[in-house]
Amino acid sequence: MDFGFSEEQREVQALARQILSEQVTPEKLAAYDEYAAARFDEELWRQLLDAGLTNVALDESYGGMGFGFIELALVLEEAGRTIAPVPLVHHCVSAMMPLQQFAPEALKERVLPAAAAGSLLLTAALSETGNDNAAQPTAVVAAEHVEGVRLSGIKSAVPYAQEAGAILVAAQLDESVCVVLLETGAAGVSMSPVEYTTFEPHADVTLDNVLVPAANIVMREGGEAVMHWLVERTTAALCAHQLGAADYAMRTAASYTSEREQFGVPVATFQAVGHRMADCYIDIECLRLTTYQAVSLLGAGVDASTELDIAKIWAGDCGHRVSYATQHVHGGTGIDRDYPLWRYCLWLRHNEMALGGSSVHLAALGQRLAAGEGLFA
Amino acid sequence: MDIQFNAEQLALRDELRAYFAAMMTPELREECERDMGEGGGPLWREALRQMGKDGWIGVGWPEAWGGRGMSPLEQFIFVEEVMRAGYPFPFLTTESVGPILAEHGNEFIKREFVPKILAGEMLISIGYSEPGAGTDLASLKTSAVRDGDDWVINGQKMWTSLAHFCDYTWLACRTDPDAPKKHKGITMFLVPNSDPGWSCTPVTTLGGVRTNATFYDNIRVSDDYRVGELNSGWKLVTSQLNRERLSLINFGPSSLLFNEVVKWARTTALPKGGYVIDQPWVQQNLARCRADIECMKLIVYKQSWAMTEQTLDMADASAAKVFGSEAFIEVYRLLGEILGQSALRRDDEHGDALGRKIERLYRTSSIITFGGGTNEIQRDIISAAGLWMPRAAR
Repeated sequence: MDFGFSEEQREVQALARQILSEQVTPEKLAAYDEYAAARFDEELWRQLLDAGLTNVALDESYGGMGFGFIELALVLEEAGRTIAPVPLVHHCVSAMMPLQQFAPEALKERVLPAAAAGSLLLTAALSETGNDNAAQPTAVVAAEHVEGVRLSGIKSAVPYAQEAGAILVAAQLDESVCVVLLETGAAGVSMSPVEYTTFEPHADVTLDNVLVPAANIVMREGGEAVMHWLVERTTAALCAHQLGAADYAMRTAASYTSEREQFGVPVATFQAVGHRMADCYIDIECLRLTTYQAVSLLGAGVDASTELDIAKIWAGDCGHRVSYATQHVHGGTGIDRDYPLWRYCLWLRHNEMALGGSSVHLAALGQRLAAGEGLFA
Repeated sequence: MDIQFNAEQLALRDELRAYFAAMMTPELREECERDMGEGGGPLWREALRQMGKDGWIGVGWPEAWGGRGMSPLEQFIFVEEVMRAGYPFPFLTTESVGPILAEHGNEFIKREFVPKILAGEMLISIGYSEPGAGTDLASLKTSAVRDGDDWVINGQKMWTSLAHFCDYTWLACRTDPDAPKKHKGITMFLVPNSDPGWSCTPVTTLGGVRTNATFYDNIRVSDDYRVGELNSGWKLVTSQLNRERLSLINFGPSSLLFNEVVKWARTTALPKGGYVIDQPWVQQNLARCRADIECMKLIVYKQSWAMTEQTLDMADASAAKVFGSEAFIEVYRLLGEILGQSALRRDDEHGDALGRKIERLYRTSSIITFGGGTNEIQRDIISAAGLWMPRAAR
């Protein structure tokens, strides 16, 4: 048992923290508020690509660093700490990782080096209107075609869809699920932007009898497994992002209350304030431990369904409580848009709800227990 | 990073689980039940001595202290398993005071006390609180006055749990009444509970557990019984309390209880068909407990690892205490809801002791949010030591 980081892990973490903390500033983030510009800092993205940080979990044969999911999660934690305007979760976790795991070799060789070099941005479509189960698509249907498959239907709120060159899409094909890499420039693809709480770019993607060539099929049938695998990793990625964001919000509130004086003393000296922050500290420690556990199990390729549900329950509860408490102890300053904390509140709530809030994961865990699974060893 | 036990640690766990399954005879179990899960009976003592003979008590202690030289993680596995087996292990002596004596004791203490602790032949109660010194522990008044080569001790302690069957009390005494800061005038002693000047009266608690008021009337001990430097006892007190706080959070028994309740809910039929566990609210309660106990487990694993790495952090020890103590109470409540009316019964309705166990745990767990230092003080420590926030003047 080892809760420490290896030398390589510490290096990845330090490099990510250095680049992100230097490059992401409240002034730069302000440029994206209210969708004034697409929330995508391409200069920062280029730096992360050049430093290899987007590719830590990618095999060296495709231009990656050849580490694993733990190292990538450490980068995501730093992205959360700075709420960096880059598509790390979508490109690296929801798209590159499942492609590397499941795509035919020829497809991997065609897209992964391009994704690693930054000439191809990837994302994944995980939701449909009224259907949050990414592994059981109903709104997008595929039909067999001599050259591949044809897709019709709508995927809703696909992150960075308009910026991406290709989207991982699951579609219902007869009784099964087909997963493809959809090129966004294909005939019949249209997009309409939707607005999200975080100002992160999203678009509804409408597919009108779009032909996806056979070479772009990741899995013709049984694609549920691909989607399940990628949703698990994306969920863990959200937990890691949440950890960084919550930790930053807590430390900001601790500093602010230590400086801010009322009744002639720092407000941090009031026990009611100190104790609220202590509760944040405990919540975040729980999120850290459950997230690292889920990430390290997924990294090792073993079943982590129970541990991942538990991590996401904490990401939801901790996100809610920390976002609320840190805003609260700041008083009006916390909601003032000239002070950076309010954006963290948006992200903490985003990560709380995305891919299922606490109740969803409690229900899933409860069902597993009812089936006699997930007990203590 | 690898948050799982390695093969050797899993093998040790299995070995211990089998060892304790054999040790916990029905007679021993009955005696422990009778003693309200505190121990102190003859079979309990015999089992403790046997654990000592078999080299388990100090499995994670350094060899120089007489242990087996494994790490605190192995020590932790041992304590989890012994508690999981339902044996009321005297962890305050072995996990909390014992290591302090081994580290800071003089040659006499290291010779006379430490080996006996490891042999399961020495039990030590803790004398800190007084009628007028609870959370403000440093205002304690029990005095030790130098008289030639000896010390003469007078005073009263409160909540001296287990003292009625312990051999010595680890006693915090005022040795400098004029110290400008009151915590700088405290020295630690080991005082024999067999001394004619020592007496105790029982205090019965909500949980049914006995604790004690203890009285110290002109007890004379030689300087050999002093631990640590004169007037430097406070750091031994806080260091012991850090260890005590960790020892208070045993997830082993809770994880076993949780598994038992799941099994009960899966096999107990509802009057109108189906099983208890088919109800969504039951699944919700169980999932909440599963998530809380998992965190308890990870927190104590991490702390044991940090002890091995010698990076144990004060804020993290306090966080473990606050989270664990509050989560225990919540877990007992949620499990009790599932058991329903039988969680109100002190007898054994289902013949599996489950309702009775939860009735007692939910009742006795009231102690843990203030025992070992109130959670308010722990939260003060967390915000100050963990987040560098200034503290109010007291």
